[in-house]
Amino acid sequence: MTRDILLQIGQVVTVLLLAPLLQGCILQWEERVQRARGPGIFQPYRDLWKWFHKQSVVPETASLVYWIAPIVAFTCMLTVPILIPVLTNYPLPLSNMGDILGGGLILTLGSFLINLAGLDSGSPAGGIGSSRAVMLGILAEPTLILVFVGITLLAKAMLPFVVNHLLVAQPAVYWSPAHLFLVAAFFILLLVETDRLPIHSSTHIEVYMIDEARILEYSGPLLALLKWASMMKQFILYDIFTNVLLLPWGLSIHGLAVGAFGAAIALFLKFLVVALAVVFVETAQSRLRYFRYQEPLAASFLLAILAIVANQLR
Amino acid sequence: MPADASIVASLVAAILLPPLIAVLGCLAIRRARPCEWLNLIASIVVFVAVLLLLPEALHTTRTFLRGYLIVDPLGAWVLLSVATVYLLASIYAIGYMRHLKEDQRLYRFYALFAGFALTTLTGPLMNNIGVYWIAIELTTLVSTFLVCFELGRESIEAAWKYIVVVSGGISLALLGIILFYWGGSLHLSATYDLTWSNLRGVAPQLNATVALTAFLLVFIGFGTKVGLAPMHTWLPDAHSEGPAPVSAMLSGALLNTAMIGIARFIQISDASHLGLMPRAVVVTIGAFSLFVAALFITRQTGIKRLMAYSSVEHMGVMALGFGFGGPLGIAGALYHMLGHSLNKSLMFFGAGNAMQVFHTKRISRIHRVLGPLPVSGLLWLAGAVAITGAPPFGLFLSEMTILRAGLAGPNLWAVFVMLLLLIVIFVGFLNHFRAMYFGPTVAQPASPRATFAEEHASLSSWCLVPMWLALVPLLVLGLWWPQSISHYFAVVAAQLSAGASP
Amino acid sequence: MLATHLQPLAASLFSLLAIASLLLAFVMVGSRWLKDYLGAFALQSWLIAILSAAVGYYGHYPELYLIAALTALFRGMLLPYLLFRIIQRLNVDRELHERLAPSSSLVVGAALVLFAFVVSEHLGNSLHLTGTIVVLALTVMLSMKLIGFLMLTVRGEAISQILGLLVLENGIFLGSQILVPGMPLLIELVILFDLLVVVACFGVLVRYLVMHAGTSSAHTLRRLVG
Repeated sequence: MTRDILLQIGQVVTVLLLAPLLQGCILQWEERVQRARGPGIFQPYRDLWKWFHKQSVVPETASLVYWIAPIVAFTCMLTVPILIPVLTNYPLPLSNMGDILGGGLILTLGSFLINLAGLDSGSPAGGIGSSRAVMLGILAEPTLILVFVGITLLAKAMLPFVVNHLLVAQPAVYWSPAHLFLVAAFFILLLVETDRLPIHSSTHIEVYMIDEARILEYSGPLLALLKWASMMKQFILYDIFTNVLLLPWGLSIHGLAVGAFGAAIALFLKFLVVALAVVFVETAQSRLRYFRYQEPLAASFLLAILAIVANQLR
Repeated sequence: MPADASIVASLVAAILLPPLIAVLGCLAIRRARPCEWLNLIASIVVFVAVLLLLPEALHTTRTFLRGYLIVDPLGAWVLLSVATVYLLASIYAIGYMRHLKEDQRLYRFYALFAGFALTTLTGPLMNNIGVYWIAIELTTLVSTFLVCFELGRESIEAAWKYIVVVSGGISLALLGIILFYWGGSLHLSATYDLTWSNLRGVAPQLNATVALTAFLLVFIGFGTKVGLAPMHTWLPDAHSEGPAPVSAMLSGALLNTAMIGIARFIQISDASHLGLMPRAVVVTIGAFSLFVAALFITRQTGIKRLMAYSSVEHMGVMALGFGFGGPLGIAGALYHMLGHSLNKSLMFFGAGNAMQVFHTKRISRIHRVLGPLPVSGLLWLAGAVAITGAPPFGLFLSEMTILRAGLAGPNLWAVFVMLLLLIVIFVGFLNHFRAMYFGPTVAQPASPRATFAEEHASLSSWCLVPMWLALVPLLVLGLWWPQSISHYFAVVAAQLSAGASP
Repeated sequence: MLATHLQPLAASLFSLLAIASLLLAFVMVGSRWLKDYLGAFALQSWLIAILSAAVGYYGHYPELYLIAALTALFRGMLLPYLLFRIIQRLNVDRELHERLAPSSSLVVGAALVLFAFVVSEHLGNSLHLTGTIVVLALTVMLSMKLIGFLMLTVRGEAISQILGLLVLENGIFLGSQILVPGMPLLIELVILFDLLVVVACFGVLVRYLVMHAGTSSAHTLRRLVG
């Protein structure tokens, strides 16, 4: 029991500590692919360190929301790892608090508060960012729900662990069209949700920015929390994608220290595989105009539908 | 019996070979005048052969060529209406097409025309449902080029809509046929010939859901080809933009060839015990066709489009006849089929003559038809009275028969709807003719009297004779319903309703 | 019937091919470039050819190998080539005036697939075949049918309309390979040739359209109404 609690804490800590590293790797590879040197893979850590040591400047118009939004967002990202398989392939204490849908809900809560914070200070950029983020959310949400429905139909359960066990145990299910289409649909969602091309919005160019616009008013430690939260969100989505859908192998089965440590390394290797695919897409794709954002999402929606249709064959 | 069989076989050959020879001949000769004659002779031979075939077909149903060809009473009757229209249209085409002054390309027209007749004649003879489907598809492909023969912008538009809508629609029929085949293959072996009789035999065992789905698909598919509303959208365009003989063929021959498929599939749906639903669908679509036709006829501005919507109407009436079913309904529908073929040819010929003289398709620009066209104008007017179902002509009898058939069936509402709409169409249709014949002449300086007379002189007897040939039988059929035909219909009805009641 | 007692591997192979063909139909719906359509169509035909061969292999229908070869030859190579020539002659690259943006068409198409799914599920239930390849084949067949009609409706370019019709045909062909592999050879051959004739006719008609009507888009054909 104690070991399980320790493992559960370990899951959260893994997410907390490795998230910036993943971001660093992706950023560096993107530059490398384009024949540039790129920042070091530890650059995100240095950024966070820097922000934590800066002073916070708070707008005069800001209310309480401005203060609690980063903290709640950060807390949400600390909560979700409890629910999903990060290191072990069996449920740990408190992981029965919620299923995949519950995890999605908590992720959305964080995003919701950041939207509010963007509106809170009354600056035009924050308004733009929040409205765009909500628009994107409206487009992505039905697809996300459909992917969950597909997963549920596949495993007859909504718990991530059950899906993981099913895919490991039955290669036929793993290679079934239903599952492959779900993987493809989720991959597109992953690109959208983690701010990659063809949507990529982490810039300070006004016509594109979404996330950056929402948090434009933040500085110092609060900014660090928000950035960290967004890296953790990326890490969590990667985790769901790999451990639940794409590569369900390589998790600790017995919960030993060695196994957990190995799982952490394996996890990171799996992420690198996904990151490689993401980098490939980013290199091959160009950015879409804002009014064409629905196209990749429509494709993803469609793949989810096809997955559900293909699912009947069992 | 073998002697009889060989007679029938040679008659079938005499129906299918002459158009084929005409096609090849026209392509080989490439000169306008001989092609005209070749096509005309082919149509005469076909007509005579069909007339001889009718009594032979009545006795027994025969199949040839390993069961791919079938000669049965229903098919022979459709062949009769097709051959009639082919003959009339071939005569008329000589006069009409010369008027177009496109002699270099004319051989292509006759080759296509004979080819169109060939495919249309092939359809009712097909025993394998898949091959029947292909024959119907081929009629579309061939007639597309007849529709756009004049190469105007509108006629190409019409041809494009025709081929896209009809090919798309008819592919639904193929889907339905595949579903029927599939349903049958669960009970027969995996490979079997999908003939009408095989399907009819396995029909009682078919799964009801599959059979119903397949029937609806087939009905929509062939209904598109027949021109039942709301799948009729291609019909007014194609009928109004093709040359007049082609319009007559499309309306009087082609639609019937597709209608026979619907009639045979209604039989199959009866045999598979689907309840009242299939017939109710057929009746509803038929009544809806009448409704759409009534709306568009009353507010029509184009003369040939008027005729086209009248075709939609009459196909609706026929669908109602087959949908009501029973010996009476089937007899009425078949009588209506022949009457419509004769009458609609007459109407399109008349419209073609009027267009030659007045150089317009707009009703509002045609006045005082009897001035320049005394004889053909009168014939046309008589045809207009006939096609609305007025008493002394054949269509009156057949429509009354269908109404009587409906009174006996479960779809009583359709009878009253049909009656009401027929009256609306009667008024609306003839109102246009009143305007064209007796309406006030609008001042129109562009066409002085002298050119009228000149045009009239050029209206050859080739354009007049087929109108007589159409009107006289129509009148005879209206005054006298021969006993032999009644007997014929009784045989068809017995075959179509063999073994199962709806 | 073949489809009811099938090895799991064969079943998943069939379903993969069928679903992939459906996906390619969606590629056509979701793209604006005519050459993409054409490529997707050719690939789809090849998949169907492979499916024919696979059905022939697992169901012991040797004549299906012939069908597969002819499908690949006609639908996979000859038809795309003919259409490619038409495209080159027309000098149009892409669909400019679609009535519905590709992404919206995708969503509409997805809804159509769901409809097809419900219908085939109903059919499958009535035959006690739920959960077999039959339901999947029906779904794909009906969906491709509906998607073909969707393409006919929302796309204006002449080529898109031809391809829409061909998608209709491909859907039927695909479904029939799984549902009724024992269909008489003659019928299948005639349908194949029929398709060739259809495309040839369309080729001529498109030429007329450009020469005499001065357009390659069917949306501009709107003179005949009422």
